[in-house]
Amino acid sequence: MTQQAVLRVTELTKHYGDVRAVDGISFSVEPATVFTLLGPNGAGKTTTLEILEGIREPDSGEIEAFGQRLRRVDRATKARMGVLLQEGNFEAHLKAKEVVALFASFFGRSVSVPEILDRVALGEKANALVKTLSGGQKQRLAVAVALVNDPELVFLDEPTTGLDPQARRNMWSIVEGLKERGKTLILTTHYMEEAQALSDWVCIMDHGKLIAEGTTRQLTADLAQNTRVEFRAESLPDVARSALEACCLGARAEDGTIVLETADLPRTMQALLEWSRKHDVPLHQLGVRQPDLEDVFLSLTGRRLRE
Amino acid sequence: MSAFVHLLLAEFRILRRSWLALFFTLIFPLIFIVIFGFLFGGIGEVDRSRMGLVISGPDGELLESVIGDAGTMEIVRYEAVEDLSTDVGERVVDFGLAWDGSTLRSFLDPSRVQENFAFQQVVEGMQDDFDLRRQGLTNPIGVEAVHVGPSDAAGWFNLVVPGILAFSILSTGLFAVSGHLTEMKERHTLDRMIVTPMRPVALLAAIASVRLVLAFVSTLITLFVAIALFDLSFDVSWPRYAVFVACSTLGTMGLGTCIALLVRRPSSASNIANALAMVMMFLAGIYFPAEFMPRFLQVLGQWLPLTHMANAMRYVTGVLDMSAARFWTTSAAFLGIAVVLFPILGRYVVRPLRR
Amino acid sequence: MTDILLLARTHVVTALRERVTLFWFLVFPIFLLTILALIFGRIGEESEIHFDIALVNRDVGAPADGFSARIASIFVEMSTAKESGERPLFSLHAPSLDESHDDFLAREEQALRRGELAAIVVIPEGFHEAVLATAMAPIMPDPPSFEVLMSESDVASEMAAGIIEQIIVEVDREILVQMGRFDESAAIGRAQVWVGEDAADEVRYVDFLLPGVILMGFFTNGLFGVPGAILFNRDRKVLRRYWVTALPVGRYLVGFSLGHLALCVMQFVLLYLLGRFAFGARVSFARLDAALLLVLSAVTFMAFGFLIASLARTANAGMAIANVLNMPMMFLSGLFFPTGGLPTFLAVFAAVNPVTYLVEGLRTSVGVQTASTSPILLLAVPLGWIALSAAVASRRLRWDVAR
Repeated sequence: MTQQAVLRVTELTKHYGDVRAVDGISFSVEPATVFTLLGPNGAGKTTTLEILEGIREPDSGEIEAFGQRLRRVDRATKARMGVLLQEGNFEAHLKAKEVVALFASFFGRSVSVPEILDRVALGEKANALVKTLSGGQKQRLAVAVALVNDPELVFLDEPTTGLDPQARRNMWSIVEGLKERGKTLILTTHYMEEAQALSDWVCIMDHGKLIAEGTTRQLTADLAQNTRVEFRAESLPDVARSALEACCLGARAEDGTIVLETADLPRTMQALLEWSRKHDVPLHQLGVRQPDLEDVFLSLTGRRLRE
Repeated sequence: MSAFVHLLLAEFRILRRSWLALFFTLIFPLIFIVIFGFLFGGIGEVDRSRMGLVISGPDGELLESVIGDAGTMEIVRYEAVEDLSTDVGERVVDFGLAWDGSTLRSFLDPSRVQENFAFQQVVEGMQDDFDLRRQGLTNPIGVEAVHVGPSDAAGWFNLVVPGILAFSILSTGLFAVSGHLTEMKERHTLDRMIVTPMRPVALLAAIASVRLVLAFVSTLITLFVAIALFDLSFDVSWPRYAVFVACSTLGTMGLGTCIALLVRRPSSASNIANALAMVMMFLAGIYFPAEFMPRFLQVLGQWLPLTHMANAMRYVTGVLDMSAARFWTTSAAFLGIAVVLFPILGRYVVRPLRR
Repeated sequence: MTDILLLARTHVVTALRERVTLFWFLVFPIFLLTILALIFGRIGEESEIHFDIALVNRDVGAPADGFSARIASIFVEMSTAKESGERPLFSLHAPSLDESHDDFLAREEQALRRGELAAIVVIPEGFHEAVLATAMAPIMPDPPSFEVLMSESDVASEMAAGIIEQIIVEVDREILVQMGRFDESAAIGRAQVWVGEDAADEVRYVDFLLPGVILMGFFTNGLFGVPGAILFNRDRKVLRRYWVTALPVGRYLVGFSLGHLALCVMQFVLLYLLGRFAFGARVSFARLDAALLLVLSAVTFMAFGFLIASLARTANAGMAIANVLNMPMMFLSGLFFPTGGLPTFLAVFAAVNPVTYLVEGLRTSVGVQTASTSPILLLAVPLGWIALSAAVASRRLRWDVAR
């Protein structure tokens, strides 16, 4: 059964003067999947999303949403979407339940406000003024508002930035819940763990361009096949460093951590232990890990996702 | 010492770039002066008004002579009373007088509520005078009003200008704390400073110094504009002027401190200060004489700092007299408020913002 | 429809729940109405006005029933407490028995300069003789005067001097009648005519004031409330949350405007009730032309607010523009003070100012003023401003923060 893509984007472009914020990107989003745009700050993720949310005009490119070709996202399309903005506020002097009712009215829907609030664990705060809510509670309210029209397609722009770990975990479980209910989710993030944990499909963006896409497994498998061996060491004498290079495919130092790449783990481990004994360098916090998206990005661009 | 100097320069730069604050302290009073100066010039100024006149009876020349003695109104003659009446209603003339040989009738537009009082007075004077002179009489008793004010006062506006200067000083001092400083607290700029060895007194001294300069500059500009535009004259005692502007600026900073200490959130302070300043402006007799207010409001007015500031400014600009004792007590009181509250303000600066 | 109504409700509710807005939009106009009604409503009503004056009668040799004594006794009588409990017009300071007149005068003059005294009446030596001679002369010369020392820069003093002059005019008349010189039967008749169609009586100040304060309330609501709400919500990205939904900008505007007008209705009701029941205003707005003008005013100022919002890049800039325009527009409009005799550049401002026309129109429609401007112009200028504001706003008002 061929499933029609919920969203298809072709050669989307947006310039700001000389800066190409979005530089001819194309992708498609399959229904009931979590699609993630991953990239460092300034990669163009939010701009892309804003174009798809209908609050920014693209300079060129095609958008096909729910099977309809659009120059610009229109009202009918918006009615089938839900948006969680990266940044935004509610009227500080409205109560949580008033906010939900207000947004529901934009879609011409009457909803059960208590139910919606319960779903984001804000049931007890129904009568609380927005200005009395904590950051995490405001974010949950924003999620409630994004889902008030029971949308088929949901945009989540950096949904966990600035949240504490507990709130982040809550958000992840909300996302997973939405996917289980058959919704399509488009997510942007610069957190590799988030992309890895939630996504069915990842597009890596950098400087406005799409530089790679695929499942997490595909990306790491294709582009970063080698195992990583890591340990902590503050500084190495040059002699020791060059010796280290010999026992692996590549070594680099990052913030006091030495990372070795190897395609032959046993051989490298043995050589490493030898080296440690010979140069009298202890191997603190020694660890072995599989490549992740961070490594993918690094190998593609030479830079880290998180600057 | 160096910290103070740097803070001082920083405060100057901030002020220069915050055109909003500059506007309110420099331009706002000027707009006030200009508008009020021209407006007040027009109220009930009978001598510049136009009077319509119908004479259809004897003693016309006598009546004209009486009118001429009454003032320098511009006289417009009419043949028929109906025309005069219409023109009064349409404000072609400001009021009218008609003599038919037995009755001297006045015509007034009922909607000119603020001016009719003066017109009525002139008319009554003319009626009295005409009545007597028709019978060949004059008043047996005359009244001579002799002005004994301290200067060549031009009237109510001479009183208004120092009041506006006082208000200008009030805003400068008040918003220095309940505005500028509270904003620094709200934005956590203060927090960043207090974790350094910077002493709060250096910051406060810098802010106070800048505001002092601002108070002087703004009041002087306003004063000179008033003099230049409206040909007013003031007999300014510069030493006392300097003393009072300095003391009251610091004193009103103290008042700003009280507000800052009482509000729950620093950002509310400037709103409250704004509201208080507006209310005070009305009750302190700056817009209109306090004598017109009901007693309880006059009494309330006596408790407002702005009232005393206005009176003191009137004294130092030579418009109203005051006992020297009262002046120095007032100045000392403002200075005293500042002295008492500055250490408290220092502690406020250092206290971290409650989350 | 629900979205528009809920948006209107949101606008009203957030205005009422925010203390700052509540103050400026409700408390301040009420305060202003109260103060102005209390103060200006009393000009001409001298019942509660009271002056401190001093009196020195230097004409010591005059007879006890002479003119000097008569003048002095008038002032004494006017400073005596009445049986009715009404406060006397004057409080009289007189020299004590062992105080010399010169010392007393010096002291009281100082009090006058300090604004503690309204006037000093000085009856000169030989006054009685001079008055007698004048009153009996076949051809009356210029009258002898007694002095009233006062201060020109003190309004109370000016008023006191004026009142004293009026008192003397009556005394003069009495004297001439008593001496048989003035023939009362030949006195002129006097009448005062209030000009205008419905003019039966002089307009009371509070009736003149109330339409003005209502308009001022609408004005500040439009000038500050509209740009404030829109710009702050835009800058804080409250609006952006709306634009990512299916809500079109147009419907938001309609809801917002409805909410704004509802706030104006609230202002009107509160001010009217206060004016009517606290200050006895009798003016009625229950006429078609008055109602239409109220609506026109509210809409004009709202449109003006949109104009300001279009011209400001940030919320602070918008508030600054509003503050700059606030005072000139309010005062150079005839709302509080008549605008005759203004220099050209200010008169031009008053002529372009929509407030000028709306104030005159409203006051005319409720019968406290006769219009001196044509009705067409009274409507055309505000409508012109609405059109201009709509045109500018539709092109320049940005609904989302720029990058």
